[in-house]
Amino acid sequence: MRPLTDTETKTLFTKLANYTGRSLNNLLTDTAPSTTSGANSTPDRYVFRIQKDRVYYVRESLANLATSIARDNLLSLGTCLGKFTKTGKFRLHITALDVLAPHARYKVWVKANGEMPFLYGGHVVKAHVGRWSEDVPEHQGVVVMSMNDTPLGFGVTARSTAEARRLDPTGIVTFRQADVGEYLREEDTLFTT
Amino acid sequence: MPPKARTGPSKGGDKRSSSSKPSTSASSSKSKKPSGPRPKPVQQKTKSKTPTLKKKPPHLRYTEKDLKLPSLNGIRPAGVQKPPNAKKGKTFVDDKEQMNAILAIVMAEKEGNIESKMMRSRQLEEVREARRIEAEKRVESKKAGLEERKKGIKEDGRKKGKGSRDDSGPAGAEVTQEKVGPRKLRKRVSFG
Repeated sequence: MRPLTDTETKTLFTKLANYTGRSLNNLLTDTAPSTTSGANSTPDRYVFRIQKDRVYYVRESLANLATSIARDNLLSLGTCLGKFTKTGKFRLHITALDVLAPHARYKVWVKANGEMPFLYGGHVVKAHVGRWSEDVPEHQGVVVMSMNDTPLGFGVTARSTAEARRLDPTGIVTFRQADVGEYLREEDTLFTT
Repeated sequence: MPPKARTGPSKGGDKRSSSSKPSTSASSSKSKKPSGPRPKPVQQKTKSKTPTLKKKPPHLRYTEKDLKLPSLNGIRPAGVQKPPNAKKGKTFVDDKEQMNAILAIVMAEKEGNIESKMMRSRQLEEVREARRIEAEKRVESKKAGLEERKKGIKEDGRKKGKGSRDDSGPAGAEVTQEKVGPRKLRKRVSFG
């Protein structure tokens, strides 16, 4: 387990910035109440740590504790954001949704009849869209939400909002990248390294 | 230490000389020798002083600036990327300032990208709209032309009908026959 290098940090941030707006800053400044007792103890900040090829978003105190575990024995800690491929690209996992969703810049709300098709791994078709953010460009990362604002996954837009208006109801609006159904479908491989 | 070492051999030399020349006319030399050692320490002192000066390492005696040497060419050769005392391996980013700096760069890049994408899509939309309007106009004008032509033909038909109502049937039949005739001729094809 180690902190990220500057190139790794850059690739990670560019990926995250696909989905989030300016509020990505909050990821760095977010603090958790300190675990150690005492009023004047400093609040914990969150840090990024890489273990094998996976990137975790962890409380710093937890990351410090984890240094006492050998690299081979350390399976996971904090929230897994995704993994670096062998070519140096970064791939987001569904586990990053909890970190991304509060800071999402563009969102697509899916109607109740479209939830199940999406959770089974389908793309979002126009007929299932309840509403969407205005002025979304083409191929832009979006967070897919249910109508009651529960994040269901994320994807990229197939068309810009203006073009999507003219699309027929069966036309794909958003390409799925990850959905919460993966917690069941990819249960075997999601947390293995 | 060095002075003692130097004095030793000299003494030894004295001893050897005394031992090697035990007999014959050496009495005068022997007698002289005791008096000899006295000047020798003076010489040794002078000798011992010079080596101590020389032993001082050059970087203590003078600095590089004192030498007034021409400065070397500072260009780093292509094969050597890093200075030899630079840190080896990865450079980690763990402090907030550095992270923020990277984030700011990334965000600016992304904003620019989105902005340009939006601009391009807006422009394309305008162009498409203009093209659509033009196409609609063209269709309209075509339709209008067709309507006019239809009207003209209708009017022509009326005029003709009014002019020759009584022999309209046979004339029409002739026309059809004429039309059929050349078509049939045209269709007839023989391959050798």
